[in-house]
Amino acid sequence: MNNDIIINIEDVAKTYQMGAETVHALRSVSLQIRKNEYIAIMGPSGSGKSTMMNIVGCLDTPTKGTYLFENENVATMNDNELADIRNRKIGFVFQTFNLLARASTLKNVELPLVYAGVKKDERQQRAFAALESVGLQDRTHHKPNELSGGQRQRVAIARALVTKPSIILADEPTGNLDSKTGVEIMRLFGELWKNGNTVILVTHEEDIARHAHRIVRIRDGMIESDTINPSPAEV
Amino acid sequence: MNIFESVILAIDAVRSHKLRSSLTLFSIAIGIFAIIGSGTAVTSLNETVSKQMAEMGEGVFVLQKFPPVMSNDMWKKLRGRKDINFQQAKLFQQKMIENAEAVGIENSTGGIKVKYGNLSTDQNVSVAGGDDAYFITTNIMIEYGRPLNSEDVSMNRRVVVIGDDLVKKLFPVGSPLGKIITIKKQNFTVIGTIKRRGSVLGQSLDNRVIIPITVFMKYIADEWDVSVAISVKALSLDKVDETMDEAIGIMRGIRGDQPWMESSFAYYTNNTLSEQFEGFTKYVGFFGIGAGIVALVVAGVGIMNIMLVTVKERTREIGVRKALGAKRRWILQQFIIEAITLCQLGGGIGIILGLMGGVFLSLILGTVVAVPLHWIGISIGVCTFLGVFFGAYPAWKASKLDPIEALRYE
Repeated sequence: MNNDIIINIEDVAKTYQMGAETVHALRSVSLQIRKNEYIAIMGPSGSGKSTMMNIVGCLDTPTKGTYLFENENVATMNDNELADIRNRKIGFVFQTFNLLARASTLKNVELPLVYAGVKKDERQQRAFAALESVGLQDRTHHKPNELSGGQRQRVAIARALVTKPSIILADEPTGNLDSKTGVEIMRLFGELWKNGNTVILVTHEEDIARHAHRIVRIRDGMIESDTINPSPAEV
Repeated sequence: MNIFESVILAIDAVRSHKLRSSLTLFSIAIGIFAIIGSGTAVTSLNETVSKQMAEMGEGVFVLQKFPPVMSNDMWKKLRGRKDINFQQAKLFQQKMIENAEAVGIENSTGGIKVKYGNLSTDQNVSVAGGDDAYFITTNIMIEYGRPLNSEDVSMNRRVVVIGDDLVKKLFPVGSPLGKIITIKKQNFTVIGTIKRRGSVLGQSLDNRVIIPITVFMKYIADEWDVSVAISVKALSLDKVDETMDEAIGIMRGIRGDQPWMESSFAYYTNNTLSEQFEGFTKYVGFFGIGAGIVALVVAGVGIMNIMLVTVKERTREIGVRKALGAKRRWILQQFIIEAITLCQLGGGIGIILGLMGGVFLSLILGTVVAVPLHWIGISIGVCTFLGVFFGAYPAWKASKLDPIEALRYE
């Protein structure tokens, strides 16, 4: 059972020094996330939600506490070690897609594999397979600006999937999409979860969060509630 | 990461900021142009001169009143020297002839108009007075007819050997031999033509005539320049130094130079001339390279500026790359390769311009066209160095960006 735990955060705090003032972005947070969970982290702006996401996503390290990611102590890692963890174990999906404008769809999806040192042939194969899984196999040579917003987010999801990461971490993934396209993207996340992926949504929208099976609410740098969603929305 | 991708990104960056990039590329091109151009010029000047010097006969040295190149100070010091007059030269010739292959006496003047019938040259022909030995020491070859001989000199014959330019100008049809041409209102019979010699530094070596030195001194020589030069060809190459010592001794005797005095005349070999010339071309080279380095430093600062702006503009992209797992050295490498690519683009333009400039210069100076391969190699090296050196700080800055900040950057 314990082997199922991917993320084990214990008594984590994060403080920033803003001039003379110390900002407590996170005061004391403990959170465990298991394999194949579908979880939403919620909170209004200023709640510490973004800090939480940055720490979970290994973009930042906590000031205090321990963070074990698949039993590796992330809290004490340096920049390059964190980059390695992000590359191998975390698939990011951003609100603004963050695709490289000048690169083709396929090249964008290949990028994490480039940094992982995967050879070109295998890289292209895997990138193509990832694009196929989000239904964009016939858009491989398009540039991002030739795609619709929904298609761009699919490319970003393919890029997140291509390394077969331990978690998919999505930050307001529908924030820049109209509601109809947003629903399609949420359906895609549902499918990813069904296929055995671990999905973490970071959002302030109830409509999005209700797709998740577990909802963690953050307020004032603390976890306010951590509840099972009795009836996840199906799309 | 693959270098190719970085190169493409760099070319993209150039294209999307044409003005800014082209200014910087331009200054790199100027710098490399200056280096390649002066390299080409120096190489071809030196090659031409050493080729020319070799043609003028090896193992030859010259005695004359003044050194061939003089500074102002030297001129002030030496201006009181007495001429080497024809009698002194004659005496020297008699004493020296047993120990040398040839001893020639010469004087010359320029800017002369030569006429034949109603045809005439421009006022730019160089007229030399010489003797039979002069043809040997200066390695002048005859195409048709004969050179001057000792009787021509001793009997003051009005005969002339003419260069190829005059053959073409005055005798477009028919043989010049036996024809009478006019030099400074004096009539001369053409007895020979000189084999074409080409040109040095744009100066034709064929726009000249040679008449007996005796006649020259009488009718043609400028009153203010009646000092003759004596050219001596040693019996063999390894005897040049020995022969020169001997010649200096004899000349000092003739001139009455006291043992404690410096010689009252100058002496030099072709080697000293070409050394002096190489000294001169070295300055040309230093100047070109100096100007090039200044331009390259300016260009380097421009490259740094472009790269800093590029890093700023692509902050978000850097954030994404880092989030996806790019380590610091990937980012560092990417931006340094971009900087190198920029420099190589400018350098490539500079190399092409420099080669064209060098070839153009060689053509107008009539020198050998020399492609300075090692300068091209150096230029490519310099551009790489520029890219690494001036790209390092922006690339380091990019690699240090905090991914969270970078992702948030608008």
